[in-house]
Amino acid sequence: MAIILANITAIYRRELQSYFRSPLAYAIAGAFWLLAGFFFCAILLGSEGLIQQAAMRDAQGQQMGVPVPPFDLVGEFLRIFLGTMGSLSLFILPILSMGLYAEERKRGTLELLATSPVTNWAVAVGKLLAVLTFYITLIAPLLLYEAIAFSGASPSVAPGLPIAAHLGLVLLAASVLSLGMFVSSLTASTILAAVMTFALVLFLWIMDLVASAIGGPVGEALGHLSLLQHYDSFVNGVVETKSLVLFGSYIFAGIFLTAQSIETFRFQRS
Amino acid sequence: MTIEVDQLTKVYGSATAIEEVTFAVETGEILGFLGPNGAGKTTTMRIVTGYLPATRGTARVAGFDVHEQSMAVRQRIGYLPETPPLYPEMTVAGFLQFVARLKGVPAGDRVERVRHAMARCGLADRAGTAIHKLSKGYRQRVGIAQAIVHDPPAIVLDEPTVGLDPRQIIEVRKLIESLAGDHTIVLSTHILPEVSMTCSRVAIINRGRIVATNTPENLTAELVAGVGYEVEVMADEAELLAWDAIALTPTPTPDPAPSEAVPAPDPESTESKDSDSDQEPQESEPESDTPEAIAAPSNPSNLVKLSDRGAALVDQLGVIAGVASVALLQPELSHRGERPDLRRLRLRIASQPGQEPGRAIAASILGSGLGLCELRRQRASLEDVFLQLTTTEPTDHNN
Repeated sequence: MAIILANITAIYRRELQSYFRSPLAYAIAGAFWLLAGFFFCAILLGSEGLIQQAAMRDAQGQQMGVPVPPFDLVGEFLRIFLGTMGSLSLFILPILSMGLYAEERKRGTLELLATSPVTNWAVAVGKLLAVLTFYITLIAPLLLYEAIAFSGASPSVAPGLPIAAHLGLVLLAASVLSLGMFVSSLTASTILAAVMTFALVLFLWIMDLVASAIGGPVGEALGHLSLLQHYDSFVNGVVETKSLVLFGSYIFAGIFLTAQSIETFRFQRS
Repeated sequence: MTIEVDQLTKVYGSATAIEEVTFAVETGEILGFLGPNGAGKTTTMRIVTGYLPATRGTARVAGFDVHEQSMAVRQRIGYLPETPPLYPEMTVAGFLQFVARLKGVPAGDRVERVRHAMARCGLADRAGTAIHKLSKGYRQRVGIAQAIVHDPPAIVLDEPTVGLDPRQIIEVRKLIESLAGDHTIVLSTHILPEVSMTCSRVAIINRGRIVATNTPENLTAELVAGVGYEVEVMADEAELLAWDAIALTPTPTPDPAPSEAVPAPDPESTESKDSDSDQEPQESEPESDTPEAIAAPSNPSNLVKLSDRGAALVDQLGVIAGVASVALLQPELSHRGERPDLRRLRLRIASQPGQEPGRAIAASILGSGLGLCELRRQRASLEDVFLQLTTTEPTDHNN
């Protein structure tokens, strides 16, 4: 067990180190922070932003002389902002996961990993943890923005809602990255891996639309697989076991399939 | 720590990459795994290191089966694949640290092992350099360093010197030689001198089958049939004229019947003939351009040419005991070099196995009155063995 942990750590550290030297990682981080910052400002502070809307409501209420219904600005903001972050991640995550195995295959370093005393599982888990860490690093500054914004809220924000929402975002990212890692293990081309992952994730994203179109028990069953539906419930502060199980299943499936695909790759390789 | 490979067969779909490959490497030995490209070297290496499973048969490293006890084998083996597995963005030291960690080197020993591997491979001054900035030769060294960083008892190197310049090749060979003794090494290559210089034993593989396993010396010794002599004889114009005079006298010429000892002139001879066809008109006589035109010229104005003498010489040498065949390499090689009046002739003599007829050949040539310029014994090189084993049918030289 200690050996497996040591192996996972070795893979994890190597992956993280390579992000520090990868221009792609810096470019992704820069683009993500720029866009996320822009959305943050636009949603909260823009001329059509939530603060403006709330102020208008208040003004309207005073003019009419009727008490305005309470406006949950924090909840509304989290819904819109994290919805946007989810969509933005949809584009970013396949780029993060595309190189996980495709690069190894291209460089021939898979041969090093496969002839080292380390299991495919350990490699896959180490890689997934590393790329997830990188993603969490990407969203960490946004938490700081939110903390600053929410500190001015009245009544003060209960910490449960933002925590649940961001947990949902991380779980969503882990699921997508895990599946992306599997797709990446299928090919030596990073571009192909990114495109395939994007298609797969988009399909899972809108699974509930597909499901409702199909209808019937099959449609209903498919509907439960939708990433978006379960992510939404997290963002609304609803942490359900079924959502946790679904995300957990996606993550596990990704790791399992990756380990299997690497094993098969070695058997088939000519 | 031995490496035993037992009747390995690997089939890719319908193509058989290797078939019934069997060899063993003893502790401290360097086995050269020699074969043309595509013969199945890399496939065998990959099976031995546990990267690929074999279709049939098995391999054992230190008694551990590569299929059943893969992890135990992986801990005990260092492997340099055909393309060194390197992460270009990492530094040399960082990469070796990672490999050491991955191979399970205890944390306390890691720094020392990495330092040692770098020193061994001449990388000490490049420890902090990113791998993508290194030259091909240095990358190859990093590849070797990653194979030895955990001090494995068995090392498998797949074409370790490919793409290196001659000086680097010598360094890498020295490194490999220095690893032998306490390490068991399998080295695959298609470069012949590498094997004869570094390896204590050679396994030659062709089209997926082992065609020979032996020491380099024994392999060459087996092919004594390849031993022969190359001879260059000469005569100057005055001597030719003198022979001419003898030939014109009615004394019986040496029996001109072309014996069966004279082999058909090899293609080389016709080529060189073409290149020599622009003979200067120093001799005024018309050319009789076939070497078979044996002495006894019908036209008295004809000079006996050296080639005619050569044909006679071929007959003469062909009957010496121990000579298998005599071939004229160049029917007539005239006025080359600083002495335009000299005529030269080259012959190749193949000796029968186990015979050394050099002395009789020299005596015979001197006795014929020709000048002996060169008599050189040719030994079969490993190259000859390799070519013979890999170009003829594999069954010819099974041992």
